[in-house]
Amino acid sequence: MRAKISALMDGELEGSELAASLAAIGARDGEAYEAWCLYHIVGDALCGTRPLSEAFNARFAQRLAAEPTVLAPAAARAQPERRRWIALSAAASIAAAALVGWLSLAPQGGVGTAPVQIAQAPVRAAPPMAVAAAAKAPARVPLPREADDYLLAHQSYSLRSSLQGMMPYVRTVAVENVAGRP
Amino acid sequence: MTRAGVLLFARTLGAALAASATLAHAQTSSDALAWLRKIYQATQRLSYTGTFVYQRGDETEASRIVHVAGTGTGIEKLEALDGARREIVRTRDTVQSYLPDARTLKVDRRTVGPRDRGRGFPAMLPERLSGLARNYTVSFGDTARIAGYECREVVLRPNDRYRYGYRLWADRRSGMLLKARTFNAKGETLEQFTFTQLRIGPVPRGEVRVRPVPPGWRVEDSSVQPVDLAAEGWRVDADLPGFEKVAEVKRKLRATHLVDQVVYSDGMAAVSVFIEPMPAAAAEVHPGLSRTGATNIYTREVADHLVTVVGEAPAVSVQRIGDSVEYHPPH
Repeated sequence: MRAKISALMDGELEGSELAASLAAIGARDGEAYEAWCLYHIVGDALCGTRPLSEAFNARFAQRLAAEPTVLAPAAARAQPERRRWIALSAAASIAAAALVGWLSLAPQGGVGTAPVQIAQAPVRAAPPMAVAAAAKAPARVPLPREADDYLLAHQSYSLRSSLQGMMPYVRTVAVENVAGRP
Repeated sequence: MTRAGVLLFARTLGAALAASATLAHAQTSSDALAWLRKIYQATQRLSYTGTFVYQRGDETEASRIVHVAGTGTGIEKLEALDGARREIVRTRDTVQSYLPDARTLKVDRRTVGPRDRGRGFPAMLPERLSGLARNYTVSFGDTARIAGYECREVVLRPNDRYRYGYRLWADRRSGMLLKARTFNAKGETLEQFTFTQLRIGPVPRGEVRVRPVPPGWRVEDSSVQPVDLAAEGWRVDADLPGFEKVAEVKRKLRATHLVDQVVYSDGMAAVSVFIEPMPAAAAEVHPGLSRTGATNIYTREVADHLVTVVGEAPAVSVQRIGDSVEYHPPH
């Protein structure tokens, strides 16, 4: 398993091996998790990175939980040849998040000696306000079937048509084409 | 002076001061406003034939347009050259859409209310042009040559996020509009109309003759009537700066069902709110936002009715007007 984790950290795992290793780490105990932590400490030591403060994880987790949930459409299934790239970019994002966390939190706490642990990302509902805001954003929907009828009815009152003559009327034609109707 | 007279005078003075303060703040040039007025007059006064291109995203559509000027008898014809066949003929108070593929003629009659009796078909009153200065900063842009005409550009920059901006290019000599572009807050072009060919001058009236309805065609008359939505229990409170209610009517849509329509305008952009009973095929209704060119459409259900807001204004404006719609059963 240690070899797998080592390969994972080098970005060399793909497919089911990648999934299995991540699941093993995610289980948070046993060989895989220990190896993951150990290798990171070794890596940090080699690179001369200072350990984070003891309270870093707790504060990071707290701030992360307070972040509004971003409701994004499900990502398209990644192609096998792109997996590695995605893994790398994910690593880059984590690195960026860690850097930001470091910059904003480091000055506040003392430098401890506790081993670096993976931040416990709690799966929690976003605060009510964020949910409300997200619910208020309307869905993007296709044009209504009667769009051209509405447009035509609207056009008669559009004051722009006084300046542009009949030009804006052509929009109703264009809509009809989009909708693929006769 | 009577007390009422004094009050009226004070109010008028106040309004004038407020208007001039807004003008000064917006740095709208009065020359540019006068130029807008000239463009408006040119579209009414000139006879012309031409071809223009409508662009939206990477799509383009060419159309032919003919306008025969005449006091109260002006007539205009638009013919789509690309895509679905369609011909629209507009006179002072009717718009007729000929749809050969659907063998349908749609007739839209404009109500002539007491307030706009005697006005030309286009609802824009020249005095509204000065109202524009409250919502847009109107200034001159560069000069450009379009379809062989030396044009002067006038730019309408929105004073807030509730409207789009416009660039209009018009012939330096006649004021005839050659190109019109709508842009959003990021400066991106949403849609554009450009004449590729234009001839200004007398046009034989035969070119725009209203033809009789071909046999076998369906005629859909909109039968527009004034209506009082508040009396029916509807409340539309367009809490949008600069937008005022300009029309409130009941009309037929596709000759089958009645729809209420309230129109708001800021002098340039207009937003219509359509209210109708929820259609039988309610599954086909998708609440949410959609967009075509500079037109945003917002659909929502209120009290078992379908509310559709259509306007050449940013999504935020269209949605805000739509969300203000409420129904309180009349007593």
